[in-house]
Amino acid sequence: MATHDHHLNGDTITNSTTNLAKKPKLSPSSTFITASEIQSEFSHHDPSIARINNGSFGCCPASIVKAQQLLQLQFLRQPDHFYFNHLRPGILESRTFIKQLINAHHVDEVSIVDNATTAAAIVLQRTAWAFAEGRFDKGDVAIMLHYAYGAVKKSIEAYVTRAGGCVIEVQLPFPVNSNDEIVHEFRKALEKGKEHGRRRVRLAVIDHITSMPSVVIPVKELVGICREEGVDQVFVDAAHGIGCTDVDMQDIGADFYTSNLHKWFFCPPSVAFLYCRKSPSCLDLHHPVVSHEYGNGLAVESAWIGTRDYSAQLVVPKVLEFANRFEGGIDGIKKRNHDNVVEMGQMLAKAWGTNLGCPPEMCATMIMVGLPASLGISSELDTMKLRTHLRDNFGVEVPIYYRVPKDEEVGVITGYARISYQVYNKVEEYTKFRDAVNQLVCDGFTCALLSK
Amino acid sequence: HFYVSTLRPNLLRSRALIQTLINAHHIDEVSLVDNATTAAAIVLQQIGRRFAHHRNDTVIMFRCAFPAVKKSIQAYVTRAGASVVEVDLPFPVSSNAEIIAEFRKGLSSAKSDGRKVRLAIIDHITSMPSVVIPVRELVHICREEGVEQVFVDAAHAIGSVSIDVQQIGADFYVSNLYKWFFAPPSVAFLYCRKSNPSSSETHHPVVSHEYGNGLPVESSWIGTRDYTPQLVVPAIMEFVNQFEGGSEGIMRRNHEEVVRMGKMLAEAWGTSLGSPPEMCASMVMVGLPSKLHVLSDDDATRLRSHLRDKHGVEVPIYYRAPKNGEKSESEPRDDHGLITGYARISHQVYNRIEDYYKFRDAINRIILEETSLQGCF
Repeated sequence: MATHDHHLNGDTITNSTTNLAKKPKLSPSSTFITASEIQSEFSHHDPSIARINNGSFGCCPASIVKAQQLLQLQFLRQPDHFYFNHLRPGILESRTFIKQLINAHHVDEVSIVDNATTAAAIVLQRTAWAFAEGRFDKGDVAIMLHYAYGAVKKSIEAYVTRAGGCVIEVQLPFPVNSNDEIVHEFRKALEKGKEHGRRRVRLAVIDHITSMPSVVIPVKELVGICREEGVDQVFVDAAHGIGCTDVDMQDIGADFYTSNLHKWFFCPPSVAFLYCRKSPSCLDLHHPVVSHEYGNGLAVESAWIGTRDYSAQLVVPKVLEFANRFEGGIDGIKKRNHDNVVEMGQMLAKAWGTNLGCPPEMCATMIMVGLPASLGISSELDTMKLRTHLRDNFGVEVPIYYRVPKDEEVGVITGYARISYQVYNKVEEYTKFRDAVNQLVCDGFTCALLSK
Repeated sequence: HFYVSTLRPNLLRSRALIQTLINAHHIDEVSLVDNATTAAAIVLQQIGRRFAHHRNDTVIMFRCAFPAVKKSIQAYVTRAGASVVEVDLPFPVSSNAEIIAEFRKGLSSAKSDGRKVRLAIIDHITSMPSVVIPVRELVHICREEGVEQVFVDAAHAIGSVSIDVQQIGADFYVSNLYKWFFAPPSVAFLYCRKSNPSSSETHHPVVSHEYGNGLPVESSWIGTRDYTPQLVVPAIMEFVNQFEGGSEGIMRRNHEEVVRMGKMLAEAWGTSLGSPPEMCASMVMVGLPSKLHVLSDDDATRLRSHLRDKHGVEVPIYYRAPKNGEKSESEPRDDHGLITGYARISHQVYNRIEDYYKFRDAINRIILEETSLQGCF
């Protein structure tokens, strides 16, 4: 796949000026990783599948898996020694590495947890206590996006609604054409939340990149609006953030920010960071699995939550070595992934006579591509069935989104595929998908034909 | 594909095997979680929610309960307004009767002034000092005395003692599979008795898509992570069945060997064991010579590091403060003074007698050669 020299418009992909981009020694051009070395690093992937869904579970190169296994064996060899002498310094090293990556000011602000789901539980549990202990009034509001991740919605239900809070959803248009549309809806929801000053908006939960449908949200702008409008705290759920889009804590300005490192940052499952801007309320944040370090700050609490395999958390700094084998390091990878996924998305939309779900500047390394209306996707169940059908009968792995037609819309596109692009992907995988769908259309396939 | 086709059915297989092992009645009663620490958070979070409506009721537990569990009680129960009553574990201990008597005392105290005891947390095998607790009797007493819920923290139990949750009769029972049951780090099971009315209110704190579908299902998906330790339980059964007598045979031989090694050490050092053989499983507390002058938790930690770094021996050390003063006849002693340090030795299938000789000799050498003990560790 040829690299592209497009200069992108839009504020999602910019030249990063984080400390890390300045420091590392990038490979001299003669020793950049080759295409065949890349395939070798991912030779453990199932070769029979067009794996165009990095967004769901991420990927981990063989050299990182190997580094992880060494750590696991080191633990098993002498666990007490590992626990007393290696674990804590190792976690601190990982946290320091992440702090530099994301431009946090203090390493205390960076905790490592399993995944964004855990991070959400941490932030939301604090909200639940605030309601229980009377710091928040019943009926105070939490705002979230309608397209917030399902697990996070459940967490909000468990910890906010259940504690007496009121949840307001921001309705987002999809397909979407500009950031303004999103900002407009967000302001509307905030107004509703404040209800003419009768109640407080205690927490805004904003996705950096929504999952389904996938769109890059203008988080910096929304955080700014939250500050203007007196929202207590903002939690950015950037499960897809790091390695996918720019992640600069000072620039974004949120109180809490989480991102998975196993999705787009080449870490093994599973590891994520939770950034908590230094403030008095940080003292109130706790890992739900309480262990010896309870009360010593979230980062220290999270570094020991009982005996388990911490190797995924310890291997994080090794990713830099891998990323620097690519031209431009992680920033180069991000840029090329973006350019390629847009190119593939446009190729598919053209081949099928459909459209993209958002303009290129509103996507990062994933893009929503409309599927031909003739496929007859008319429910979420249809999307699951079609996805399975594509996996089992065409060897294509891609998640499908059902977009409910609005009133008076006829003959519209109701299904969108979320394609991803990561370093191991090749054009052939997308043409395989293109051809599979063309064949389905040709055969007169509709989802109604799939048995339950 | 793994998520869809392999994960769920294999988790179910693991759970079914554990159900059989522990004699649970329904597979719905068995959840897989990371470790006992996680299970404690699950149970205590649920208890804590109930306290919102009943402040000043009590929770009872052993003073030597695992420190992480004590912190969890602080985080979820004390914070919600409950009081905690701690039961002293007599140590050294000679019989179950001593433990039962202390527990009854503690229960009376917890019930005083008309308070209701909402939860009893009982270790099956305490961690430090390590002793096998008569859980069945204690759970029975709890029921007699109107304790609302009983949670048995059996972190060490599976693979070290037989477990029959019907006989034990607790509402919640957790054990780690990676300690004595050959699982990789980390996986534990949490048993939640179906008849307990709170079981539908029990949730995994990391809330994901399966919230509300029952704890086993919630725990089977808490976001993307490595679930493989939870999937290997069937492979463990294959492993243990290679040994004569399977898991039962391993447990029995571990017990016999650790007792034998404990006695060998106590004899070599002129000390004594912390409990009679029938009150230990595959671990035993062995008194350390008084000449070592282990006089604080700090001394215990430093002795442990010293043994690891200079003598190549890995063994946890427990500091036991004298209860009744140096002159008291009831304090454990050797020929030279009070015994204040105990080593918790374990025996697992990979251990050999040489490991214990090495320990015996290390201690003897420390006493003989490293005469300025304050300086050396």
